[in-house]
Amino acid sequence: MSLAAGPGRGGGGGAQGQLPDEMKVVVEKHVAYIQSLDTRREELEYHLTEHLRISGIYWGLTALHLLGHPDALPRDGVLDFLFSCLHADGGFGAAPGHDPHMLYTVSSVQILAMVDGFDELEKRMKDGKLKVAKYIAGLQQPNGTFAGDEWGETDTRFLYCALNALSLLGFLPSQQADQPPLIDVPAATAYVKACQNFDGGFGTEPGAESHSGQVFTCCGALSITGELDSYLGEEGKDRLGAWLSERQLPSGGLNGRPEKLVDVCYSWWVMSSMAMIGRLHWIDKAKLTAFILQCQDPEEGGFADRPGDMVDVFHTVFGLAGLSLLGHPGLVEVDPA
Amino acid sequence: MQDQWSEVDKNQHGIPRVSGGTADKSEQARVKEQKQIEQYQRLEADVILRIKSKDYSNDTFQATSQLLSQNPEYYTIWNHRRRLLQDVFAKERDRKEDADAADTEAAEREGLTSPQREISLLVKEDLHFLVPLLRQYPKCYWIWNHRSWLLGTATRLLPSHTATELWQGELGLVSKMLSLDSRNFHGWGYRREVVKEIERMSTSSMVEKEFSYTTKMVQSNLSNFSAWHYRSQLIPHLLAERQADCDARKNFLDGEFELITKALYTDPYDQSLWFYHHYLMSTLDPTNSQAPAILDPCTDAERSYYYEQELENVRDMLDGAEDCKYIYQSLLELSQQLRQLDAGNQAVIKGELTAWLSQLLKIDSLRQGRWRDLELKLKL
Repeated sequence: MSLAAGPGRGGGGGAQGQLPDEMKVVVEKHVAYIQSLDTRREELEYHLTEHLRISGIYWGLTALHLLGHPDALPRDGVLDFLFSCLHADGGFGAAPGHDPHMLYTVSSVQILAMVDGFDELEKRMKDGKLKVAKYIAGLQQPNGTFAGDEWGETDTRFLYCALNALSLLGFLPSQQADQPPLIDVPAATAYVKACQNFDGGFGTEPGAESHSGQVFTCCGALSITGELDSYLGEEGKDRLGAWLSERQLPSGGLNGRPEKLVDVCYSWWVMSSMAMIGRLHWIDKAKLTAFILQCQDPEEGGFADRPGDMVDVFHTVFGLAGLSLLGHPGLVEVDPA
Repeated sequence: MQDQWSEVDKNQHGIPRVSGGTADKSEQARVKEQKQIEQYQRLEADVILRIKSKDYSNDTFQATSQLLSQNPEYYTIWNHRRRLLQDVFAKERDRKEDADAADTEAAEREGLTSPQREISLLVKEDLHFLVPLLRQYPKCYWIWNHRSWLLGTATRLLPSHTATELWQGELGLVSKMLSLDSRNFHGWGYRREVVKEIERMSTSSMVEKEFSYTTKMVQSNLSNFSAWHYRSQLIPHLLAERQADCDARKNFLDGEFELITKALYTDPYDQSLWFYHHYLMSTLDPTNSQAPAILDPCTDAERSYYYEQELENVRDMLDGAEDCKYIYQSLLELSQQLRQLDAGNQAVIKGELTAWLSQLLKIDSLRQGRWRDLELKLKL
């Protein structure tokens, strides 16, 4: 997910004043909540989630950008931690001592892009960008998809991750026209297309049922390679849009698959996909906004999966990204792909 | 990029919010938590030290079991566990056929060398270790991955009769997992993998058996979206394998329509059932390349026939379910397809289309934008 923030694109800046209290995003509390995350070492949960640390930082940092406080985490501290997770092969682990994996490599690349840290990468590792790009490219399989790591699990999540990170690094074949391509893009997109189902949605692999998360990764992948519009066409967009719009339930929230519970994070996976295919107006935005805001903890900051549940940083970023996409006042605007 | 889809992470979902967070913890609870943290960190440090010094002993193996039971999301520890097993397997394979006559004899009875038997016992022990973990954390990717790696390793290192037997056992396990949660997509993905491997090793197809499995699944619970999906995926293979001719295909399609129509009469509000009905209709739509035709050949006359038949069927369902949005959606979908095929067809008149659409605008207020777009598209 790339972030396009800047003057003139903001979702309304400080215009929260006129809103009733239950419609306000408690910006300062969310910022404080995210800043507190790394100080919770007296909680067992902090230690049990070390395998997510780099992604946690990415979620936190993205949330801060959306909240208009991009500098609320110390840049040097973030970079030092990030480089302590970098392996000689160009892959990043989730935390120091953890093995390299696609998920944490893409989170790291996204963080570097956000804090403008690619020069720092070059300083700390000779040809660092190329090394990281080669680690990612090395995980492509003969059938076009990507593995998560040397152990070989494949999933369209990793395929999207690879394209996303390579594009941020500037190492997609289209960005390096004078060099031999690092990856086989046509094979990758052919694989994505093989994951599509008759209902217009996409699954984790060919034959798997449609799932909103996978719809996001597959649409995102095709969007990065510039094929989304031509591949789906208007009929395909209607079909996929119909499936996605059925994800909204009477509470206003969105679910990930038919007959599952609603969850704030699908505000992002479903809505960004709908935005990519120009069908965002097919759901009730006001009801979704109200649902997301009900998941906010107005006292301590943060968002939960559902109203009344414990907050966490994962749902915080996707709740905020959802609100941003809905054009809610007080947040920086986000790019769906 | 996220790490898990939302429904996947046991740590982050469905936990009720308690006011005040950590500040309210009693001193006793705080002390207890500190002890848990220290215990966990000791165990983690011990495992990492052992792996660093390449101590691939049984004690190390047991220590990883202990750590993974506490935190199955710790992917690096699963990697270490596999490195350890790889080392043990390599040593077994280098080992001379040995010494212990009883071992050799036991191995021979199973058609194995004694190192092979040793490897198969270790694989079985590890598969066994994973069962309670899977039941406790059915949505943890890493546990399913490790299971899949063990089976793949068995395929590489063991004679095919032993490996096949192990894969066969997985069918039972995955059926059990799916009976506990019929929507677990890890389970369904694993099932596809198991079936593919068994088919590859035995060079015989399981399509008929799997198709029957989906029949059983939907009969026990009609509202099983995943089972209906799997069924739709099997159909093209099933028909090819049966070498179904024109009539057989038509009979098959009729049978499926009958099955789903009955189910829809039972519960027209169930999205899973409409999904399958929609799938059957899609097989008649040549523009939908993701739904291969069931009929072969599929002529325009046959298409019209089915569209008209289903229009009539679905119209009848309105009786007593006038507030069911799926019925109106289906009627509109069917009419559009029929009109595309045969513009002059009078099976649906414009007034009906307008009436159905205005019902949708009324009862499906969440999706007003979609129905407004459709209104424009249909030029109503």
